[in-house]
Amino acid sequence: MKQLTLDLRADAPPVLENFVAAANADLLAALYEAVPVADVPQHIFLWGDAGSGRSHLLRSIVTAAAQAGRPACYLQAADVGETLPEAPGLLLAIDDVEALGPGAQIALFRAFNGARAQRMTLITSGCAAPLHLHLREDLRTRIGQSLIFEVKALTDTDREAILAAQAATRGLRLEPEIVQYLLRHGRRDLTSLLRTLDALDAASLERKRAITLPLLREVLQRDLSC
Amino acid sequence: MPQCAAFWTHCLSCLEQELPSQQYKTWIVPLRAEEPSGGDGAGLRLVAPSNFHRQWLRDRYLRRIEELGEEYFGAPLAIEVGLAPAGGVRRPSAPPSAAPVSTATQSTAAAPQPAPPMPRPAMPEAPVSAETANYDKSRLNPDFTFDTLVTGRANDLARAAALQVAQNPGVSYNPLFIYGGVGLGKTHLIHALGNYVFKHDPRKVIRYVHAEDYYADVVRAYQQKSFDVFKRYYRSLDVLIIDDIQFFNNKNRTQEEFFHAFNALTEAKKQIIITSDTYPKDVQGLEDRLISRFDWGLTVQIEPPELEMRVAILKKKAEVERIALDDDVAFLIAKNLRSNVRELEGALKKVLAFARFHGKEVTLEVAKEALKDLLNAHNRQLTVEFIQKTVADYYKIKVADMHSKKRTRVIARPRQVAMFLAKDLTPMSLPAIGEAFGGRDHTTVLHACRTIAELRLGDTQLNHDLHVLTQVLRG
Repeated sequence: MKQLTLDLRADAPPVLENFVAAANADLLAALYEAVPVADVPQHIFLWGDAGSGRSHLLRSIVTAAAQAGRPACYLQAADVGETLPEAPGLLLAIDDVEALGPGAQIALFRAFNGARAQRMTLITSGCAAPLHLHLREDLRTRIGQSLIFEVKALTDTDREAILAAQAATRGLRLEPEIVQYLLRHGRRDLTSLLRTLDALDAASLERKRAITLPLLREVLQRDLSC
Repeated sequence: MPQCAAFWTHCLSCLEQELPSQQYKTWIVPLRAEEPSGGDGAGLRLVAPSNFHRQWLRDRYLRRIEELGEEYFGAPLAIEVGLAPAGGVRRPSAPPSAAPVSTATQSTAAAPQPAPPMPRPAMPEAPVSAETANYDKSRLNPDFTFDTLVTGRANDLARAAALQVAQNPGVSYNPLFIYGGVGLGKTHLIHALGNYVFKHDPRKVIRYVHAEDYYADVVRAYQQKSFDVFKRYYRSLDVLIIDDIQFFNNKNRTQEEFFHAFNALTEAKKQIIITSDTYPKDVQGLEDRLISRFDWGLTVQIEPPELEMRVAILKKKAEVERIALDDDVAFLIAKNLRSNVRELEGALKKVLAFARFHGKEVTLEVAKEALKDLLNAHNRQLTVEFIQKTVADYYKIKVADMHSKKRTRVIARPRQVAMFLAKDLTPMSLPAIGEAFGGRDHTTVLHACRTIAELRLGDTQLNHDLHVLTQVLRG
């Protein structure tokens, strides 16, 4: 009989502390430095592949700023209308700028223009370097004036470290051969890996079985057939 | 321990002087100083709020703290860097209640929000003089002056005109219409003009307004039925600087209000300065009566800066940051970013930040490394087919050989290289890569990856090939 699981998974809010720095140490340091309100705000733009952790970073910096007592706001570009929040000292994070509509682009353009007077920091992200963004030229160049970082992809060793850390927060013990198998047989972007880890966690609870290679194979097989 | 506490206070005041404020606030203030765990009272233990923080501190600041310790105690000071227990992260700057995090998912949530209380500086605020208040209302940026503007053939005429207007506002050319592409320094020039006027006569009422903000003022006047106040305000100015007039495109009521303000100001011999991204007659969606008025004064263009001027701009900007920028570094940036000044500045910031983060001098090599993030081509998602084709072309074999069963060295090696690159540059699973190479097993892919990783250590030619191919594939 299958055990029904109560969805009580430990909530792992995106925070800067649980982002594996790897090749992105500079970027992470710049984000930490953007948390306190600055006299002359240093805007930051992050770009990288889907799944590279841009949204995690943007959400994390908003959380960090709020914890430090600074007004902060995270918005997905697709949800931005013709106005953007404005407040003295606000840290505003806009994700996926390439998805900004025409009105939203003007709103962000205005936010850049007014940022200095309000001591607002703008943290934006996109799928490509500013040179290659398809946005209004006046906005694109303003984004290009930010401190720009590519969110660098993780190596397999980094992925192993993240999997181990994530498994530990779920109270799981992952044997090295499980991690190796996962990296050899599954998709290796972090989103897919964590999704598999969640599925593995759920399967282990439902069936009251330890995490073993056969269970992992079953989970991967089920994923394929879905 | 009291000695240590006194040292830490001394250390904090030294570091506050030495480090830029953001670095001091981020990396030093959150540290907690305590007695080292050994218990003999010698040395100092610093507690960092996170693992990353601890590492960053060790890499960048620990040496300096040790030096200060040695100066202070006259003997080396043993410093231990620990980690705060989970949940015990100390954030001294945080007020009792943290600010709300807004993670809106709907456009309605993007409406302006009330500002939570801001952390106030400890210094008592100086009384604001009428002059300062007048300047604040002008919305001018004090950093943009004629002194900080680099002049070259591209903006010579515009600068001369702006300076003349600044010396005799409302008299020489009215309006002054400056046009040019995005990011060429129009805004800098008009702020410089405004600052010049203010410096020579602080009683002048100057207002810099972006066309979008002027439009927002019109909308607000509509909503609050306060057109009288709006009109009175804009007609009371001595100098009106309006940026990016092309934003008036098809906003009829805004154009009408501006038309009347324009007439009132010019009649009263008050100065108007306008910028646009194009020549007045080419601005889309503007009424003819407005366009014809723009011709009353002087129209000047700002052109994209030539290479030498871009280099000069970079050097000037570096000078403001108190960094001497070598010519070769400035040339590297200027050669790669041609079209506008704003992106030049972004590139320079990146190079300076990179050098600072890594504790290196700003050299050509450092600049090249730093600019990779900016200059890399599209971050396209690489496909295994593209990798196969690129590798096949490079080694002059057929793409079909990537899928074939042939095992001769001239074919097998490039195939292994392609498999290696596919694993390295895509998130595909090894079975999927094997499948794409003629239905091979994932262990074959794994073997190929290991073989190439080992071979490249001793085979410089192979290592070079891999380097070139990675560059080509990543664009």
